[in-house]
Amino acid sequence: MLKKFVCIICPNGCEISAEVEDGKIISLQGAGCPRGQEYVHQELVNPVRNIASSVLLEGGALPLASVRLSKPVPKDRIFDVMKEIKKAKLTAPVSIGQTVIPHVLGLDSDVIVTKNIPVR
Amino acid sequence: MQQFDVIIVGGGVVGSAVARELSRYKLQIGVLEKNMDVCNETSGRNSGVVHGGFAYDTGSLKAQLCVEGNQEFDRVSEELDVPFRRTGKVLVGNTEEDMKNLEKTMLQGKRNGVRGLTLIDGERLHELVPAVRGEFALLSPNSGIVDPFRYTIALAESAAVNGASYFFGREVNSIRRNPDQSYTISTTDGEFRTRWIVNSAGLGCGSISDMLGITGYRIIGSKGDYIILDKKTGPLLPMPVYPVPSNTYMGVHVTPTVDGNVIVGPNAENVTNFTYYGVPQKSIDFLAENASSLWPCIRRSDYIRNYSGILPKWVDENGAIQDFRIEVRDDIAPHAVNLVGIESPGLTAALPIARRVVSLMAERADLKPNPDFQPRRKGPERFAAQSEERKQELIGRDPDYGDVICRCEEVTKAEILQAIHNPLGVCTLTGIKYRTRSMMGRCQGGYCQMRVAELIEQELGIPPEALLYERKNSRLFTGKVRG
Amino acid sequence: MEQKDVIIIGGGPAGLAAAVELCRRGVRDILILEREETAGGILKQCIHDGFGLTRFHTTLSGPEYAQRFLDETEKENIQILTGTSVLSLTPDRVVTAVGRGGLKHFKAKAVVLAMGCRERTRGALAIPGERPAGVFTAGVAQSYINLHNRMVGKRAVILGSGDIGMIMARRLTLEGAEVSAVFEIQPYPSGLPRNIHQCLEDYGIPLYLSHTVTDIHGKARLTGVTVSQVDEKLKPVPGTEQDFSCDTLILSVGLIPENELSMQAGVQIDPRTKGAVVDEFCRTSVEGIFAAGNVLHVHDLVDFVSLEAERLADSVAEYVKSGSLPENRLSISADKNINHTVPQKISGKNGFTLSLRVSRPLAGCEIQVLQNGKVIQSKKMKKAIPAEMIQIPVSRESLSGNGNLEVRALC
Repeated sequence: MLKKFVCIICPNGCEISAEVEDGKIISLQGAGCPRGQEYVHQELVNPVRNIASSVLLEGGALPLASVRLSKPVPKDRIFDVMKEIKKAKLTAPVSIGQTVIPHVLGLDSDVIVTKNIPVR
Repeated sequence: MQQFDVIIVGGGVVGSAVARELSRYKLQIGVLEKNMDVCNETSGRNSGVVHGGFAYDTGSLKAQLCVEGNQEFDRVSEELDVPFRRTGKVLVGNTEEDMKNLEKTMLQGKRNGVRGLTLIDGERLHELVPAVRGEFALLSPNSGIVDPFRYTIALAESAAVNGASYFFGREVNSIRRNPDQSYTISTTDGEFRTRWIVNSAGLGCGSISDMLGITGYRIIGSKGDYIILDKKTGPLLPMPVYPVPSNTYMGVHVTPTVDGNVIVGPNAENVTNFTYYGVPQKSIDFLAENASSLWPCIRRSDYIRNYSGILPKWVDENGAIQDFRIEVRDDIAPHAVNLVGIESPGLTAALPIARRVVSLMAERADLKPNPDFQPRRKGPERFAAQSEERKQELIGRDPDYGDVICRCEEVTKAEILQAIHNPLGVCTLTGIKYRTRSMMGRCQGGYCQMRVAELIEQELGIPPEALLYERKNSRLFTGKVRG
Repeated sequence: MEQKDVIIIGGGPAGLAAAVELCRRGVRDILILEREETAGGILKQCIHDGFGLTRFHTTLSGPEYAQRFLDETEKENIQILTGTSVLSLTPDRVVTAVGRGGLKHFKAKAVVLAMGCRERTRGALAIPGERPAGVFTAGVAQSYINLHNRMVGKRAVILGSGDIGMIMARRLTLEGAEVSAVFEIQPYPSGLPRNIHQCLEDYGIPLYLSHTVTDIHGKARLTGVTVSQVDEKLKPVPGTEQDFSCDTLILSVGLIPENELSMQAGVQIDPRTKGAVVDEFCRTSVEGIFAAGNVLHVHDLVDFVSLEAERLADSVAEYVKSGSLPENRLSISADKNINHTVPQKISGKNGFTLSLRVSRPLAGCEIQVLQNGKVIQSKKMKKAIPAEMIQIPVSRESLSGNGNLEVRALC
């Protein structure tokens, strides 16, 4: 079966078409680089995404600390992860890379801070 | 229940002028306004022109009060600290018929007491307005431009500091006459008891008349749409440029604003819905096309906003537009001054109208002067309008003057804070906009809106979900993202 | 009046990158003027990831990307005046700025314009209808949600398929709002394909091409919009109106380089890019005034903004040291398939990177750069879309010192 993908790894957004049988890639066309091939493979077995959001920050120069995931998580867990992010709280100061929730929901990914925010 | 000597229904330019003129007397004055600020309807939605007075039938109130208002505008604008420019204006013609109409208009103007009207040739016209298209024109040197928001706000603030109370979000539901000859006004938010009522309800003048028992006024709405152009265009238009007027309609014109923008419009459409201010696509196209034949400097890329306004016109059974009506019907509604059909030139004539209202009351009641009345009112000092020395001085005194919140119109935090703590207690986002010009520039608040919203919330302790954009229930946010 | 070698107006990605690179080239007497309290520009609110792949070979969120440059400016001890707005710029490079400390005047050997861009608004598009609360440009909504902790609505539709709009579609969805559709007036999307995929398709948000909002309803808060299909001339087709009930309309309908100061200084503006006309040195028509980043032309990726600003720094450093740069007598013209190019002029003595956008989607095309009728550089593309800025390096060797350049796309 011929499947079409838009690679989201880099801004080029390569349109990749893959001939897939039993979840295995038989042939693949359109990938500008090897990452595209990996992406298609990942999409077939277990599509993953990174998300960005905010965590409530107390005493900071800003009311929110922006966060993202250290690694993408399975697409179907995004809203579960969001629930955890909504529950979290931080106290200023915070800095880039600081872990907010390690191994969120037991997944191989941490919620990390993406902005340095001093105390108000 | 709150007890007043006078309740003014409607906080437009006329209602606010009445409040201000009445505050010269020892009276408990209340103003009921259904919107959350003054000049949210007709008074704030027009061309902002201070008219000469030549366009109205000789002997009419429109003519008399317009000429009277025009002549005092320099003094009034100075007293109330409102930007006004006596730019002059031209009515541009091309054909023989146009010439005849302009001659007729000039004659009417002279009869009305308008000074300085002259017919000018193409050469003189192009000296005055180089970009205009036309063969000749009628020049009215005394016509001018004013910021209709800041003028109405100034009148209202002057009234307020002289003791008048403004009540926003109060739409009148019914008026009852009590046995002691006082009135009880029931509104969407509370009842008010008063000796006198002034109906200056603008588009609502007909229904308030009805509530007073003065029935039979037929009011139609004449809706006009406008486009606002970027300040880049301002230097190309030193004065308002109008086509030759017809009896009922001034025609699509182009008008500079005191702040350097250009307004294109209006069209005119009779409407029965007095609350719909949407601008349809066909109007936008019509305005641009029509005005371009007069002044070919209209580019789509210079559009920054559009808006519309509705004029309340009192018409007879044949649909003919009537004069202003300023009356006290002692037989039906004693102690009620009824203003009907106050449309253009209401902005120019607001104070003369107010003085007529005061005289009608003075004929019937003993008005005692208010010894504390302060005629002068000072508005927030506009940073952008100052010299470098003055700017430096302002910042030295108050560092908030060094904090530019709105970059397009160069509005500082000091001005925003002064506006937030305005004497009327208005706390909507557009209230701050009309007072400071923040959010009115080419980026339309893209940079400053969130900063202004935050300052309103902080200064007045308003929770995010209660912050209003303009009208009642016009909530800006649904709440916080977190917490 | 304070004298500086270089004044940089704007402390966003372009200004920061230019400053750091200038320092590395030995120009240390520089000052960045930034109107906000903290530098970093729009990146501060762009909390999504996907930045930095080209410049840093890793994927970062906006604030992290900005921090990398802020760390460098700190290391290099670069002076940034925050909370300082520039009020005017003269053709002889006198900058008047204002902050809480008062008005300040600076005179610089070189001025770098790095003011970025602003969003096109509802008024600029003249979208008909009423004016209720609940109509936000995408960037304003993004600022409210990501910086100010304010939720803008519960049921949204989005007009315009610009990248920020699509990113906001995802952001709103993650925060529990319902985004019912994205409408794009053009027959093709204006944002990047990966954003259509990861921001819309992932969340089941439909994208309607050749559709636009033709009416806005609501007196207080937005209650809905009317959407119509448009014809080839982008005019709404009567009879295709469809009502969408919503409390929020997000506009992602284009960005406009912020050049009011540049125009004040007399800088010549290209009507297509709405940014300055420049040469390969990022030099504008006014002596000593340079421009890079979104103030010059709207980029789709911050990485390219940084790279452009770093190239600008090379030229500005050279200009500050020697007081001059080679003349730029050769012009670059483009055919109808190309919307614009940057630079628009060159000296012919240096290799340079030509940035351009096509004016419509082209399938299987070859973009050619010609001088004196001869193809000196070309790029074959399976697809070229207006959403994507295309860059073509033109080497010094391929250029002749004489003859204007032409750029064309053959399909």
